Amino acid sequence: MKALAAFWLRFLMLTGFVMVAGSIFVRGQSSGIKVVNLIPASLSGEANQDSEPFLAVQAVNPQIMVASAFTPNPFSANGNAPVYISEDGGNTWVLSAITPVPRMTCDITHAMPTGENHPRGDLHAGTLACASSITLNESESNDVSASAVMNVQSTRTNVDQPFVRALGISSSDHIYVGLNDFNQPNGHTATVDVSVDGGATYKSIPIEKRKTSGQDGPSVRPAVAGDNTVYAAFFGWRKFNGTVATSDVVVVRDDAGGIGPLPFQALKDPSDKLPGRLVVQRVSIPWSNAPTLGQERIGSTLSIAVDPNNSSTVYVGWADHGSKGDIYTLHVRRSTDRGVTWSKSDLPHTTIRDATNIALAVAGNGTIGLLYQQLSSGRWVTHIVQSRDAFATIEDVILATVPANVPAQQFLPYLGDYDYLLAVGNEFRGVFCANNTPDLANFPQGVTYQRAADFGKKTLTDGSGNPVAISIDPFYFSVPVKP
Amino acid sequence: MNTSRLFLVGILCVNLMGTTALSQAPSNQAALAKQSSIVFAGTVSQLGATSFAGVPKSAQTIVVRVDSVLKKPPAVSLKKGDNVTVEVKDPSAFRDGTQATFYTDGWIFGSGVAVKELGHEIPPSGGAANKAAGAGEKPHPQGPEQISDQDLQNRLNSADFVVIGRVTEVRRWTVPKYATPPRVSEHDPDWHEAIVEVQSVLKGGQVKGNKVVVRFPGRNDVAWVHSPKFEKNQQGIFCLNKDQASGVATEKVGGRQVTVYTCLGHGDSLPMSDAPRVRSLLKN
Repeated sequence: MKALAAFWLRFLMLTGFVMVAGSIFVRGQSSGIKVVNLIPASLSGEANQDSEPFLAVQAVNPQIMVASAFTPNPFSANGNAPVYISEDGGNTWVLSAITPVPRMTCDITHAMPTGENHPRGDLHAGTLACASSITLNESESNDVSASAVMNVQSTRTNVDQPFVRALGISSSDHIYVGLNDFNQPNGHTATVDVSVDGGATYKSIPIEKRKTSGQDGPSVRPAVAGDNTVYAAFFGWRKFNGTVATSDVVVVRDDAGGIGPLPFQALKDPSDKLPGRLVVQRVSIPWSNAPTLGQERIGSTLSIAVDPNNSSTVYVGWADHGSKGDIYTLHVRRSTDRGVTWSKSDLPHTTIRDATNIALAVAGNGTIGLLYQQLSSGRWVTHIVQSRDAFATIEDVILATVPANVPAQQFLPYLGDYDYLLAVGNEFRGVFCANNTPDLANFPQGVTYQRAADFGKKTLTDGSGNPVAISIDPFYFSVPVKP
Repeated sequence: MNTSRLFLVGILCVNLMGTTALSQAPSNQAALAKQSSIVFAGTVSQLGATSFAGVPKSAQTIVVRVDSVLKKPPAVSLKKGDNVTVEVKDPSAFRDGTQATFYTDGWIFGSGVAVKELGHEIPPSGGAANKAAGAGEKPHPQGPEQISDQDLQNRLNSADFVVIGRVTEVRRWTVPKYATPPRVSEHDPDWHEAIVEVQSVLKGGQVKGNKVVVRFPGRNDVAWVHSPKFEKNQQGIFCLNKDQASGVATEKVGGRQVTVYTCLGHGDSLPMSDAPRVRSLLKN
C-alpha cells in the first residue's frame, strides 16, 4: 500500500514538474496572436542590446522570413553580421551570419519579393557598415537557408538610413531603397535608389525639389502597390537649428515603378507647383541624439503604407513636437485620391502623445494596421491598432508593456529608430524590441521564448543555470487581420 | 596572463603530457586554437546529418555529441551532452563513434549550435585525448569585449602605428566648414581629439615631437559603439591609422602641420597589461 502511495506521489510530482517545465517557454498565446522572442536557445547567454528590428516575409512562401536587429556576430569581431531566419512562419528562428557587413550593421532593412522565383530567397537588403566610414551595401541572397553570405550588388558611401521595399514583377524584382543621400547636390538629399532588374543595377533618384536647410531628414520611406504605383514619404527639412528641424512632410508618387523620364513627379503641390505633395508644412520636429523619450533618442520617425489592391488609398504617419508639454507626438493622415488631397487633420485616435517607431501597413481587405511604441507611466508599451474605417473605430491590442528604465542603454537607439509592420494574407506580421524580462504581465497576449527563461522567477539563464542580465531583445508578432 | 593565453598554454600542456598521437602538429594546433571561436571534444553520432532544423544538411555535415567544451563565447549556450552539427572538411575522416577534438568557428545558432570545422584532432586510442583535453573542465570563456589573438593580430597588421602612450588632453573637434558640409545624421560621430604623449613605439617609425593627435567619436551611437572613448591621463596601447574618416587628415599643432590618426575599432585601445601579448604578436 505504502509502495503504491509512493508511486502515485512520485507520478504526481513528475507530472507537475513536466507541466511546469513545459510551460516555461510557451505561455498564454491566445486569440490567434503570436509573440515570439527571436533569440535562439543556443544564444541564451547573450545580453546585447538587440535593437532596431526589421522583417521581411517571402511573398509566395510566407513561412520563410528574415528578421534583423543590431545583433553582433556572436563568435567573432570580424565575422559577418547575422540575421534571424524562420522557415516555419515565425515559430522558431535561427541566427545566421549572412550579411556582407563585418560584425554588426549600423542600419539594415530588407524585403523578399518573388520576381526571380527563389522560394527561399530573393532577399534584398540595404545595410550600413560602420567600421571606419559609413558604407551602404545593396545585396541579395537567393536562398537564405543556404547560409551563404549575401552577394553585394552595389556599394557607396555618405548615405544614411537605407529603407528597402520591393515588388516582384514578372521575372524580376523591383527594389526601392529610400535613403538620405549626402552625395546629392543642393541639399536635395531625400533619394530613392531604384532597381528594376533585381538589384543588378540601381539608379539614384533625388525626390526633393524644394530648398532645404542643407539636407532632408534621415527617414525616406517608399511604399509599393501591386499595380506598380510607388509612393515615397520624406521629411523636407526647411530649417534646422541643431535641436529642432522645421520640416514639411512630403509625399511623392510614381505611376510606373519609378522608371519613367520624370520619376516620382506625378504629384505636385498646388502651393508651388513643384513635385511632392506637402501633407503638412513647417512642423517642429525635435532632434535629439541623446536619451530624450525615456532612454530613446528622437528626431525622425516616419511611415507610409498603400492599399495593395487600391493604390488610390495611402496613409502617412510621422512624429513631431505636438502640443505643449509633449515630447514627441504621432500623427496619421490619409489620402483616397492617390495623394492629391489629404485629410486636413489627424485621423481619429491617431494623435498619440509621447510615442515613436510608427509603422503602418494595409491588409488586402483594406484594414489599416498601426504599430507604435509609447512611453507611458515609466513603461514602453507596444501597440498594434487596426481599423476598417480610417481609425473612426479601432481595435487596440497591447503586445508588450515593459519597464522603460531597465536595462540601461548600451548605445543609441535604445529600441530602434524604427520597427516594422507588414500585411501578409489575413495576418499583420511585425517586429518590435523590448526589455526581455520573462514576465507574463509584460506580454498581455502571451509570449514564446526560445532562449532559456524562467517565467516563475522572471529570470534568464545561459542554458546551464547561470543567470543572464536582462537586455533588449527583438520580438516577432503575428496578429489576425480584422475581418 | 590573459585567459586566451592560459587556454593556449593549457592546450599545449595537454598535448605534451598526453599519450595520444596527434593528427596535427602542436604548433599547428596552437594556431588552430587561436583561430577557433568554439573548441570542444566530442563523439560523432551521425554522418550526413544535422542536429536541428534550419541547418542545411549535406554530406559534409555530421552530428557530434559534446563530451567537454574547451572554448566558447559567453553568449553561446553549449555544454556536455549537447548535439552539435559540424560541417567538416573531409567527411571520410569520421565514422560513428569517432572521438575527436574539434576546432571550429560558429555557423548557425538555433535550438542547437552548428559550427564549421577549422581542424580536428583524433587520438589513436579513442578517447584518451578527450579526457586529457579537459573532460569535465570548466569551459574557457572568451569575454565579450576581449579581442581574440587572431583578431588582434589582424588589427596590428593593419595599423600604421602601434604605440604605448598617455592621453594628456581631450577636446571636442568640429569639422571645418571648408572640409565637408556639416551633415546631420543619427550616426554623427561628434568627433573628439585626444593628444597622446608617446612613450614607446611598438610598430611604425619615430613620432615627431612625441605627441600624436588621435580623433575618436564621442557619440554613443550604434555606429561607434565599439570605438574607444578616451579620457585624460588614460594610459595604454593605441593602434593608430591615418585619419580617413573625419575628412581632415592633418592639423596644426604647435605651429607644425601634423598627420592626424584615428583609433576607431574594437581592440584599437588596449590596457597596459596587454603589452606582452602585443609585443609577442608583433614578432609573428
